[in-house]
Amino acid sequence: MSFDVAHTDEQMIEHRGARQRRSNRPARLGLNLTAMIDVVFLLLIYFLVATKFKLGEEIYRMDLPQRQPAQAERDPFQLDREPLRVEVTSIGIRPDDYAVRIDGPYPQPATFDDLFDFLTQRQINEAAIGGLFEPDHPIIIVASGTTRWEHVLAGFNAAARARYTNIMFARPR
Amino acid sequence: MSHVYSRGMSEIRANLTPMIDVTFLLIVFFVLVSQIVDVEHVEMNLPKPNDPASEKPSEDQRVVINVMPGPLGEVNGYKLGTRVYSADEAGMAGLTARLAQLYEANPTLDVNLRADRATHYKWVQAAIQAVGEAAGRVTAHDVQPRVNLAVERQQ
Repeated sequence: MSFDVAHTDEQMIEHRGARQRRSNRPARLGLNLTAMIDVVFLLLIYFLVATKFKLGEEIYRMDLPQRQPAQAERDPFQLDREPLRVEVTSIGIRPDDYAVRIDGPYPQPATFDDLFDFLTQRQINEAAIGGLFEPDHPIIIVASGTTRWEHVLAGFNAAARARYTNIMFARPR
Repeated sequence: MSHVYSRGMSEIRANLTPMIDVTFLLIVFFVLVSQIVDVEHVEMNLPKPNDPASEKPSEDQRVVINVMPGPLGEVNGYKLGTRVYSADEAGMAGLTARLAQLYEANPTLDVNLRADRATHYKWVQAAIQAVGEAAGRVTAHDVQPRVNLAVERQQ
């Protein structure tokens, strides 16, 4: 028992000596990162909430007419194709408040889906017999200046869905 | 008393360096992305046609013209990049001149056109016309002007 006590005292003396040695070392410099991490996380949360991604946006490609080539380059035997004119008018502010009309002796569509059906049935291709219009036949969307853009674009979409490739907009009436 | 215990309590410390690295990278990403989105996209309700035949925008070099919506189908001007052009004659001349400069620098430039679904057609058509006129002014290259009409796809 006495041996044990003596051993413990020796240890304590030795331990105290080590602590004293450590206390003589230069103080360690530590950077407190807590505040910075707080701010960084706040910034991260702000940008996560505030950023809006436009994932649902898509486009229609529309080639605009180029400058007219010189008269000499034009084939004199090429016949001018009469463009098909589709008139679109807004009659209200709702998406369904519109009127659509095809210029010519054709059955008149009541909706843009009817217009799509008409254009699909009258297209010259292998699937349909008795078509009138080539896929690159010029189609002109005609609208007044106050027609809503969504209605004008719905007319464009009907022709694009029917796989026509030469669709243009006329100047406002 | 064990020898290990005599060295004092062990200290558990998390290494925060990788977490701070990743967090900073995320912040840089969001800062850059949100700036790009702000420059190109003005808040508006794009047309949402039924069963659209539209396609995903390509990654080609492009500029975006925003037809800035006003009340009752009118507009508050045209935004190209960070600059806003008024909808009057002087503004349209400025827009056309800027587009011509861009076409001179890059004849294959794509022009994306964003307009609100309620905007009157005359204002959208004016922007399309400006693109066509700008392409016609370029003498150094043969420019095929193309406008990409932006729509919102129904999810």
